[in-house]
Amino acid sequence: MTAADDTTAPTTLRPTDLRSVREAVLDSAGGLAIAGAGTAAAWGGDLDAVDSVLDMTGVTGVIAHNPGDMTVSVHAGTPLRRLNSELAPHGQQVSLDAARIARGATVGGLVATADAGPAALVHGSLRDLVIGTTVVLADGTVARSGGHVIKNVAGYDLAKLVHGSYGTLGVLVEVVLRLHPVPKRTTTVALDCPLAEASGHARRVLDGPYEPVALEWRSDSDGSGDGPAATEAGRLLVRVEGTEDALSGRARRLRAALGPAATEIAADAEAEEWAAHAERVRGGPGHAVLRLGALPSALPGLLAALPGAATPDAALTIGLGTGVATAALPADAEAIEAAHRAVHAAGGTSALRDRPTGFGGPAWGPAPSAVGVLKAVKTALDPAGRFGPGRFAPWFELTSPGRTT
Amino acid sequence: MALEAGVRSAFARAIGAENVIDDPVRCRSYECDGLTGYRVVPELVLLPRDAEAVAAAVRMCAQHKVPFVARGAGTGLSGGALPVADGVVISLSRLKRVLEVDPVNRRAVLEPGVTNLEITAAAAPHGLYYAPDPSSQQVCTIGGNVAENSGGAHCLKYGFTTNHVLSMEVVLPDGSVVTLGGDTAEQAGPDLRGVFLGSEGTLGITTKITVRLLRTPETVRTLLADFPSVSAAGDVVSDIVAAGIVPAAVEMMDTLAIEAAEEAVHAGYTVGVPAALVVELDGPVEECDVQFEQVKAICDKHGCTRLHIAGGPQERAAIWRGRKAAFAAVGRISPDYFVQDGVVPRTRLAEVLDRIARMGRDAGLRVANVFHAGDGNLHPLVLYSAAAGETERAEKLSGEIAELCVELGGSLSGEHGIGTDKACSMPKMFGEDDLAVMHRVRGAFDPDGLCNPGKVLPTPRLCGERPGRYRPHPLEESGVIERL
Repeated sequence: MTAADDTTAPTTLRPTDLRSVREAVLDSAGGLAIAGAGTAAAWGGDLDAVDSVLDMTGVTGVIAHNPGDMTVSVHAGTPLRRLNSELAPHGQQVSLDAARIARGATVGGLVATADAGPAALVHGSLRDLVIGTTVVLADGTVARSGGHVIKNVAGYDLAKLVHGSYGTLGVLVEVVLRLHPVPKRTTTVALDCPLAEASGHARRVLDGPYEPVALEWRSDSDGSGDGPAATEAGRLLVRVEGTEDALSGRARRLRAALGPAATEIAADAEAEEWAAHAERVRGGPGHAVLRLGALPSALPGLLAALPGAATPDAALTIGLGTGVATAALPADAEAIEAAHRAVHAAGGTSALRDRPTGFGGPAWGPAPSAVGVLKAVKTALDPAGRFGPGRFAPWFELTSPGRTT
Repeated sequence: MALEAGVRSAFARAIGAENVIDDPVRCRSYECDGLTGYRVVPELVLLPRDAEAVAAAVRMCAQHKVPFVARGAGTGLSGGALPVADGVVISLSRLKRVLEVDPVNRRAVLEPGVTNLEITAAAAPHGLYYAPDPSSQQVCTIGGNVAENSGGAHCLKYGFTTNHVLSMEVVLPDGSVVTLGGDTAEQAGPDLRGVFLGSEGTLGITTKITVRLLRTPETVRTLLADFPSVSAAGDVVSDIVAAGIVPAAVEMMDTLAIEAAEEAVHAGYTVGVPAALVVELDGPVEECDVQFEQVKAICDKHGCTRLHIAGGPQERAAIWRGRKAAFAAVGRISPDYFVQDGVVPRTRLAEVLDRIARMGRDAGLRVANVFHAGDGNLHPLVLYSAAAGETERAEKLSGEIAELCVELGGSLSGEHGIGTDKACSMPKMFGEDDLAVMHRVRGAFDPDGLCNPGKVLPTPRLCGERPGRYRPHPLEESGVIERL
């Protein structure tokens, strides 16, 4: 047992494989924070002071890639960007396009935060792509679930529990992922419109045979305070993927459906277009970034009414098919609290992502009805509350060990 | 030990005496599911009329510590709905309303007793459908699909039940009612919805389910191709995948399965060829046209001996009828058979088929193979004659095939579930610690162990017993469902 007080920095543990992760968990005592690349280190509730930080960035690399089966097993500390660049020569990829991947987010971190990007419209989030996991629990138990095949219903799917657990249930060490072919070609059709018109246009896309892989609206405003209010000007982005020969025809039909103002983004500008979208998802300094989900039809109205959203100081993105949005709002604790309440009142859910250091606003909205089960699962897997104390406060905090004294 | 009279009347008071079956003869109708070799007559069958009554029934079970088993249509093939001695069956058959179809947000809200096909029927007027399509879809219910995380022929491209269910209202084993998931896939906190889906009725009972609906694809192209060997057909599948094509479905049948299916439904399959593939593409017209030509070229390259392209919906339906009839049809070429369900990595298909053929020869039994080739999900059919005393040998071979799948890096089950049937094989696939952690998760939902006990995870008591022989399910006998 290490005695530590609040003035001592936590010990950093840097394992390199399953065995050393297990040893690090067993050899340490008290509160334990799991860290990846740090691209979402502050998301969710503020961590209580902990005794140790388990730095997973040394647990990296592909364990096995089976191109014919389109599966890969990988250490959780591997940045997804790197994994995808290793898979690219085989024409395969993990079909996830979360905004922070470009910043080096790890596979484990993306699973733990349940992050996803616009392509969730077709591919879902990592919960839909992970087919097997190996997790180390607080008592050193190594638990595997799932396997190496895409179709598998044997046993409980523990990967789902880890998805969105923000490092509070166990350490994800190995992940088996289902892969998809890298599309031969992609193209994006864009239409400039204010938020209030986005739903109508999106409906025309969704009602047609276009099969977009992403359907988003993003504000022109990046929240830096210059230019129009975030709700007033923006762009509908529709991405389609397919074969060289077929895609032009599909894009032409899509453009026609959206009317004469729609344009096909030039191939060399497409990446930049989506990078601008990702930038709005991430928000900027001075923002409190709220991730929220609600019925697509309710989302534009809900978003426009959030405190501070209809100003040049906000940046907004909305998945018009997925019902998943991000609002980078001026950082104001009361406004964020009101935003959580508004989302909840509309039947949605919300989670706070990046915000300025010391921001006092709540990370979560009201607890879900199943909070009792969440607490019971937490108690079953981490009875001493070692992992990520404070992350889900006030939902399922146990008597947290925080730092041992 | 039977239920005490006081407990029986407590159930009658809780949900109404007219909704309780306690006549042992009538209770016998619930003694098994689609895995007919295992039979247990429940003490009582409860037929609640609404979600409140389901919760009241479960609260009563919790109060009196009575084990309970939820039951949908009873088509499951792994004994997941097998009653528990001294326990009650809670049938969801009366909760069968489609509560809402929301074409704008592409969702449907359903009670658990709605059949899989009824969802698509309700969505179709809006140009929408529900994607997972287990082959018992005419009768199997969405509540059962949630419990089993059902797949179907088209799950290679479209995924399983877990990818299409957004939320569920669940009665937990203590009788409390919670919602898992929500209006969108974005939910704060650990994904309890995902844990519940596929938990085979061991974590609670669903009383309301919200599913995603998809737009009906613009076009569908289906072909049936014959090959000189199973490995040539397997190479076609590999090449399709390598070309970056994700077909809506790829199904393979071997010579025995083809023979049986053709004899049964005359769908136009070529009797005597070693292997046949059904490949289906769907999506935007331009994309399907391009990829369909690629698939045809790949078939030619691997020595396809006959290529039949469905000329319209009727021909397409005929191809699928042949494929789906294969299971029941095997009854025409063998007096008895066991259906197995296992998964191997797709690249090991040829190897596993070779091994299965050898194991069959060694056991002196024939094995027909029908499988979802795109995702490596095998359904070997072990043919035998009970009259000739082959039952035990056949059952042993069938079990060994499932365990072979695990040995080759696959899974004990791709879609039928573990249930009662394979609980004792789970240690072949998972270590002691893995199973102990699953047990801990189960305990978090159900600390008293009342909810579908004895399923999924092995127990010493269960694993000491032996099932009876396979007997056809009544729905199978009447041709309503197939085993697949």
